[in-house]
Amino acid sequence: MNGANSSSVVGGGGVIVEARDLVISFGETPALRGASVSVKRGEVLAVMGPSGSGKSTLLYCLAGILVPDSGGVSFDGQRLDTMREEQRSRLRRDRFGFVFQSGQLVPELTAEENVALPLLLGGTHRKEALRGARAWFERLELDGLERHRAGEMSGGQAQRVALARGLVAHPDVLFADEPTGSLDSLTGELVMSLMTGAAREEGTTVVLVTHEPRVAAYADREVIVRDGRVTTIATVAG
Amino acid sequence: MIRLGLRLTLGSGREAALRVLVTAAAVALGVGLLLASLAGVNGLHAQTDRGAWLDTSAQSSRPASTSGQLWWLSGTDQFGNQEIDRVDIAAAGPGAPVPPGIAHLPGPGEYDVSPALMALFKSESANELRERYPGHQIGTIGAAALPSPNSLIIVIGHTARQLSQAPGAVEVGAIQRTPSSCYACQNTGGSGAVLQFILVGGAVALLLPVLILIATASRLSAARREERFAAMRLVGATPRQISVVSAVEAVVAAVAGVAVGFALFFAFRPLLYHVPFTGAPLAAGDLSLRWTDIVLAVIGVPVAAVVSARLALRRVRISPLGVQRRASSRLPRIARIIPLLAGIAVLAYFDAAGKPGAVGGQLLELLAGFVLLIVGLVLAGPWFTTAGARLMASRASRPATLIAARRLLDNPKAAFRFIGGLVIALFVGSAAIGALSSIAAASSSGGGSAGRGTLAEPFCSFSTSNCPASAQVPSVPGQVLAGLRTTPGVRSVTLVHQGPSQAEQMKSFGVVACNQLARTPAIGKCAPGETVASVGYFFSHLLGHNSHASSTIWPSANMSVASAARLPVDAVVVATDGSPGSLERARTTLERDFPFQGAAVAVDAFDPSTARLLTMIQDMTDVVIVASLIIASCSLAVNIAAGLGERKRSFSLLRLTGVPTGLLHRVVALESALPLLLVAAVSIVVGLVSAALYLHSQVGIAFSIPGIPYWATVIGGLAVSLAIIASTFPLLTRMTGPEVARNE
Repeated sequence: MNGANSSSVVGGGGVIVEARDLVISFGETPALRGASVSVKRGEVLAVMGPSGSGKSTLLYCLAGILVPDSGGVSFDGQRLDTMREEQRSRLRRDRFGFVFQSGQLVPELTAEENVALPLLLGGTHRKEALRGARAWFERLELDGLERHRAGEMSGGQAQRVALARGLVAHPDVLFADEPTGSLDSLTGELVMSLMTGAAREEGTTVVLVTHEPRVAAYADREVIVRDGRVTTIATVAG
Repeated sequence: MIRLGLRLTLGSGREAALRVLVTAAAVALGVGLLLASLAGVNGLHAQTDRGAWLDTSAQSSRPASTSGQLWWLSGTDQFGNQEIDRVDIAAAGPGAPVPPGIAHLPGPGEYDVSPALMALFKSESANELRERYPGHQIGTIGAAALPSPNSLIIVIGHTARQLSQAPGAVEVGAIQRTPSSCYACQNTGGSGAVLQFILVGGAVALLLPVLILIATASRLSAARREERFAAMRLVGATPRQISVVSAVEAVVAAVAGVAVGFALFFAFRPLLYHVPFTGAPLAAGDLSLRWTDIVLAVIGVPVAAVVSARLALRRVRISPLGVQRRASSRLPRIARIIPLLAGIAVLAYFDAAGKPGAVGGQLLELLAGFVLLIVGLVLAGPWFTTAGARLMASRASRPATLIAARRLLDNPKAAFRFIGGLVIALFVGSAAIGALSSIAAASSSGGGSAGRGTLAEPFCSFSTSNCPASAQVPSVPGQVLAGLRTTPGVRSVTLVHQGPSQAEQMKSFGVVACNQLARTPAIGKCAPGETVASVGYFFSHLLGHNSHASSTIWPSANMSVASAARLPVDAVVVATDGSPGSLERARTTLERDFPFQGAAVAVDAFDPSTARLLTMIQDMTDVVIVASLIIASCSLAVNIAAGLGERKRSFSLLRLTGVPTGLLHRVVALESALPLLLVAAVSIVVGLVSAALYLHSQVGIAFSIPGIPYWATVIGGLAVSLAIIASTFPLLTRMTGPEVARNE
């Protein structure tokens, strides 16, 4: 492990997402107190830390969901923190993918419709969107579940459907917030293996928030957030 | 447990407070509507009571003694489209009873009039109104005898000898003080029982959507409450204790709602005097409440609210391990539309088979057809919702359409539940207005412009079987005819003579010379070459009679013009230029020339009381349609809010992934608007079709599409409904913000 303090940011031409000196508070409670991090194109970065350390808030700032009180976030050379909400929403829809811990599938839609949703939002014709979605079912070992609804699938299956939805539009960056948080260890490993495998095949950058070292082990690199600051940056061995 | 229930009700955060608030508002609305309806019924009773004396008749008031008798003749006259109650009286002895509102009986050549009629005397030309009544005014009739402040009433005095000769005059010993049970009595401000039925029907039609609103309100943040109840079960609370806690909340909301409902009623009561409860303005104090009304509202609405809330939670079983929903996922089957089709088939069968001869048959058709249609619409509603959602899902290429369609398909019965009351209101309203507007259209088109300007004065030999010989009109003197013909605006005068035989009288109105008939085309014509025709009933009437007399070619009477002219006169028909002044002048001349023969009526128009009843039904139907639409939309809005509570996590996560809020707005709008618009369209179409079938089979009137006011009401009501649905969008935006995803 290579230690680094909070001010040292990995930079260079391959950087796709970069955050500098982020400060954000919720009411009186500070969540980030000068966090900085950068993510290289194509890498899998794990953001680790104890509960309440600010790791999810950092991910939301990197994804343009939250706007920091101070500091800056850039994606592919564009400043996210100064963009209007509509621009950031469009960016999230067109360039980013998301996987959350749970409850992210639209319960009324079938699995294939859930996966096709980002394509439909992008204006793809329904038939074509569903065709594109179905291709992911075999890839993520979900054959036969195309017509199932969220309530008819196990947690692991629902999470793989969510992963397919996160990747179907070929995003530049996939943001994953505790993607295995509600799964048992075996299912969690399967989801992580499929996620990192597919992301690497697609060349998608992954920013992964987790507090489990076993999950972080799938990343190329990990940073540790403590008390709202990025305190450690390390390259995962092997 | 009650204290815990109160603590949980009042201190469980904003969502619980909102639920109590919305439930209380719905209860307040229900109480307010119920009180307004009850006050309307009381207003109707007050009017009927004050007008009871006008129903005085020989049957209702037997002479008490031979010395205390009064000759009495009551009838209705008309000025424009206003109805005038005319009472002719004459004392038959020294102790003759005096009608209410006047100090003493007017003597021969004197009359008392109501203030509104006095004002009309002053504002209108004497030859159009005042000259109809013999004598001079000696006083005004007091408010105690006026059904409505604008009632037009005149009490005319005569000698007993003079009035005893009048057809229809009776001797009475006392003035009637309580309303007659006769539901069709026109003198008491319209058909009392019919009006009461309409008012009660309107109240029920409005209360149903209110109860649905209360049931919907109880679903607000239900998930969180159910979790709380499950936690209580886990630590040992019995189902009964949970019921008590749940009931406390309902009672708190109901008590607050009842208080606000009463406050609303008293605050808005002055405005209620403008609502067309009875078709005639109410007097101050008429919209009062009796203690039984207050008890009904105080107990009835909260009990209905609690029952309604309990029914809404019936599908939820709260166990210590959480909440189980008993929702069935089976989609409504097509068999649900069978009763609706059967209802249409019943009406279509009677249309094809013709009008049933017996009154029982007509009633059977009406009841069987319309009950089947109402039940059918309520049963078929979820199926129509399913069919619409399926179509939408199969065609959807946009995510919002797809999500909304799938949500509707998840539980079409629930989606329809909120608009069930609206369906009934729209169906009944469309059928009623469709029928009324067709009747009105047929009436106004029946005789063309000539029909609207033609008056007929039917004499007692036709209109009553008890016509004294002295009241018969053997012939009309030449100077009377000349006077009529020279009345300004009169174009021609036609005499209809009595049919030559009794059998002839039963099936026809009388005989008329063809040269005269040609000058009054509104009552039909002769076949070419005929000289005398036997004419049938030519007055326009609400139900069951030919209203197109002008296009009728009457059969020959097989007699000469001279023979016909020798027969007694049954009616005088006067064609005018159609202007209101000419009509009233002709009416005045006819009434002056033929006293005690009743008022002349327009050949092709409703009498004023029927017209007023029809207008009142139309006005009330409009009120019910608009109010039902708005209440149903409130239910939809509350349902949207409740649904958002259940879906806020998935919606907020969608927003995080870049889904624009506009898409979520479209999802919510489509989910609510599709069943609303679809079922509204079905109800309107079925209502109008059933009105058309009924009119065609029973009344023989061609259906005509309702006019712009009806469509403006429906479209305006739907627009307000959609606006209410749209009002939930800011809530949606707020409930699905990024912080929701973080904090849930």
